[in-house]
Amino acid sequence: MNHADANADQLAALKAGARDRSRASTWALLALLGALFVWSYQGSEIDLGMLFSADGGGAIAEYVERLFPPDLSAKVVADAVEGAWETLAISLIGTLLSVVIALSLAFFGSRNLVYAGLLYEMESRRHLVLLRRIPYLAAKAILNFLRTIPEMLWALVFVFLVGLGPFPGVLALGVHTGGVLGKLFAEVLEDVDLQPVESLQSTGAGKIQILFYAILPQVLPQFISYTLYRWEVNIRVAAVLGFVGAGGLGQRIHIALSLFLEQQLLTLLIALYVLVTGVDYLSAYLRRRVV
Amino acid sequence: MNSTPRTLGSRSIFPYVFGGLFLLVLADSWRRAEVDPGIFFEAEGREHLWRFVTGMYPPELSWDFLELMVRPTLETIQISVMGTLIAVLIGFPLGLLATSTFSFQGILHESEYRGFGPRHAFKVCLYGLARGLLSLFRCIPEFVWAFMFVRAVGLGPFPGVLAIGVAYGGMLGKVYSEIFESVNERPLEAIQSTGAGRLQIFFYGWFPQVLPNITSYTLYRWECAVRTSAILGLVGAGGIGQQIEISIRMFNFHEVTTLLIILFSLVAGADYVSAKVRSLL
Amino acid sequence: MKPAQQYHLDGVRKVFGRGQVALEGFDLKVARGERVALIGPSGAGKTTLFRMLNCTIRPTSGHLRIGGQEVADLYGRSLREMRRRIGTIYQQHNLVPRLRVLHNVLSGRLGSWSLLGSLASLARPSQLETAHRALTDVGIGEKLFSRTDELSGGQQQRVAIARVLVQDPDVILADEPVSSVDPSLAETIIKLLIAISDDTRKTLLVNLHSTDLALSYFPRVIGMKAGVKLFDTATSRVTPELLQELYSGHAPVNGAGEPYREPEHRRTAV
Repeated sequence: MNHADANADQLAALKAGARDRSRASTWALLALLGALFVWSYQGSEIDLGMLFSADGGGAIAEYVERLFPPDLSAKVVADAVEGAWETLAISLIGTLLSVVIALSLAFFGSRNLVYAGLLYEMESRRHLVLLRRIPYLAAKAILNFLRTIPEMLWALVFVFLVGLGPFPGVLALGVHTGGVLGKLFAEVLEDVDLQPVESLQSTGAGKIQILFYAILPQVLPQFISYTLYRWEVNIRVAAVLGFVGAGGLGQRIHIALSLFLEQQLLTLLIALYVLVTGVDYLSAYLRRRVV
Repeated sequence: MNSTPRTLGSRSIFPYVFGGLFLLVLADSWRRAEVDPGIFFEAEGREHLWRFVTGMYPPELSWDFLELMVRPTLETIQISVMGTLIAVLIGFPLGLLATSTFSFQGILHESEYRGFGPRHAFKVCLYGLARGLLSLFRCIPEFVWAFMFVRAVGLGPFPGVLAIGVAYGGMLGKVYSEIFESVNERPLEAIQSTGAGRLQIFFYGWFPQVLPNITSYTLYRWECAVRTSAILGLVGAGGIGQQIEISIRMFNFHEVTTLLIILFSLVAGADYVSAKVRSLL
Repeated sequence: MKPAQQYHLDGVRKVFGRGQVALEGFDLKVARGERVALIGPSGAGKTTLFRMLNCTIRPTSGHLRIGGQEVADLYGRSLREMRRRIGTIYQQHNLVPRLRVLHNVLSGRLGSWSLLGSLASLARPSQLETAHRALTDVGIGEKLFSRTDELSGGQQQRVAIARVLVQDPDVILADEPVSSVDPSLAETIIKLLIAISDDTRKTLLVNLHSTDLALSYFPRVIGMKAGVKLFDTATSRVTPELLQELYSGHAPVNGAGEPYREPEHRRTAV
């Protein structure tokens, strides 16, 4: 009997301990989350009832019905293909531009190449090291700025600056993705394996030589992989940049949506779907092949 | 017999063929994209650039304007939260069905069927349907969804919520299913051997294993949703996007600066919150 | 009326995809409450046999009867009910690392719980006393609320045993239960399993890599090699020659662990 009592006591003690540990913080967090959801629900004017009511549901069903059948007349299909091709072009050149921007900033944006770590272990001129932080911080700030502004806003700005057409789309993609890739590249550069660097440095190689012989060969596959990944993202973005006047499929989709040309819209959406899936496959294939 | 030389041959030819093709496509793309850097150096381009850059300073900080911006700012947050919630509600079940080891193959189904009966065919169909839906949801950009939902339910934040919910639901579902597929199956086998049903196995074996990954990815998507909901306003789906477009179109660049600062703070805040939550995991 | 036979295998054969034969013409009878050890080199098909005995995979051909029930006739609910009556302890203990110990233990009850009941238990554990008693029986009652991945290998194996205890099955299958723990602990765990099966008159089948443990604790020993049964006899009649034949072509191992192999089904594209 004594034994059973001891067990019960232990269980009670364990229960009390577990309660202390988990209850308060978990419930507070859940309550906070719940409050956030309620607040957001009220603020975003959600009306699920309408969505599932005969009226709202009917409107959506009717809209879907009007999409069919897709308009497959030669003219519309040719236009869709033309648009898809243009979107592809925007994404390609935009990604290319972003790589140029990223490469020109990433090296300044990685601490170990600019002022810290192994390469600067023997640097005794402290003012030089301090001075070198300036380009690092500047590069970081620029990358952050480019990255935070979404492509669509960049596109708005560039449409204002250079006029309508695919070119502002290229610039928007290049600038935003340049910020994203620059940050990713800099992270890769900071993670580089230092042993080859150290051995090269000990042979008396200069910093640029080290960069080309020890660092770039290590990081190149990852650079390519990240670039391909962003290309997949960019093809999707390029397809909607046209909404603000930056060419491609998006422009045609926007027109079809605005003019209630639902059957043409479906053709364009099919073209978009094919394009996006195609790029996904190509990029996945290239990544396997190259990396 | 000829495998060695052929491999060597194909290996050496591939980069050239592909590189050549790539250059051709690139050249054609260059032409199609109407790249013209000269624009910035012509008188008109220079003037536009000048007007834009000088116009952005100082930011518009008048009380009236700021007061006007409070509601769209909060709305942006609300849209992102609700949109992500709906995305999870769509992505989770679809992602689960789109997980082959949950739906129709692997150790959990080893004893369940003999040959390929209608039951099995039904499961495979369900799996294919889920994958197809997810792919459809994420291949159509948020923007197009938003535009279509504006058509269906009218202007305001609601179509923005739906657009993020559907498009991100597709992305979340795909990544969820990848995470589900990669779990360690041995605990699942053990739980199954106690006589547990599939959903019980899911909640006791799968869910605890994937929870950190799923939460982390969902938080990342929420960060993206904040950014997205800030621009869905361009097509009339609420948030500060609409205001940004108006300000740019009206050449009120000092307002644009303020709005960009707001956007910066929103994004940085979302980053901070999700980093905080991740550290709790 | 319960039939006396717990297991009755008749010409069981298992072929995995690509024609890889894992088990061939296997006959076996195990009576209720019997204690049997299986020994044999790695790749002999012991694990495959166990996965059939606990209804995880089906025989390709042959008859497998559990408690008089033909397993081929079981599916859905009846299959789950059969599984509930067979408890398994795995080599790698197969616990969910991030779950608390009590949920891993209580997952033994899943076969008896409804879906909603089992969900509710994740938030507010039901049958805490049962879980605690089982853990106390295996000597780690104080770990009830710990996270499972914070436990040592030996403790985790005890959690797996506690899971089988709360499952309260008719049969306990233990697939290499001690190959990832040190020898002294191995003996303790085997003794524990035997004590459990003695107390409740459960049938106990243990798949062991160590011939020493098999010979000292089990009245009946089955030797398996390359998917067939080499011998099946009382322990007293196991001779060194038999063991030599069993392990010929393999280094005889005592106590050392068998390296973990990917489960065969992974290589089988279904």
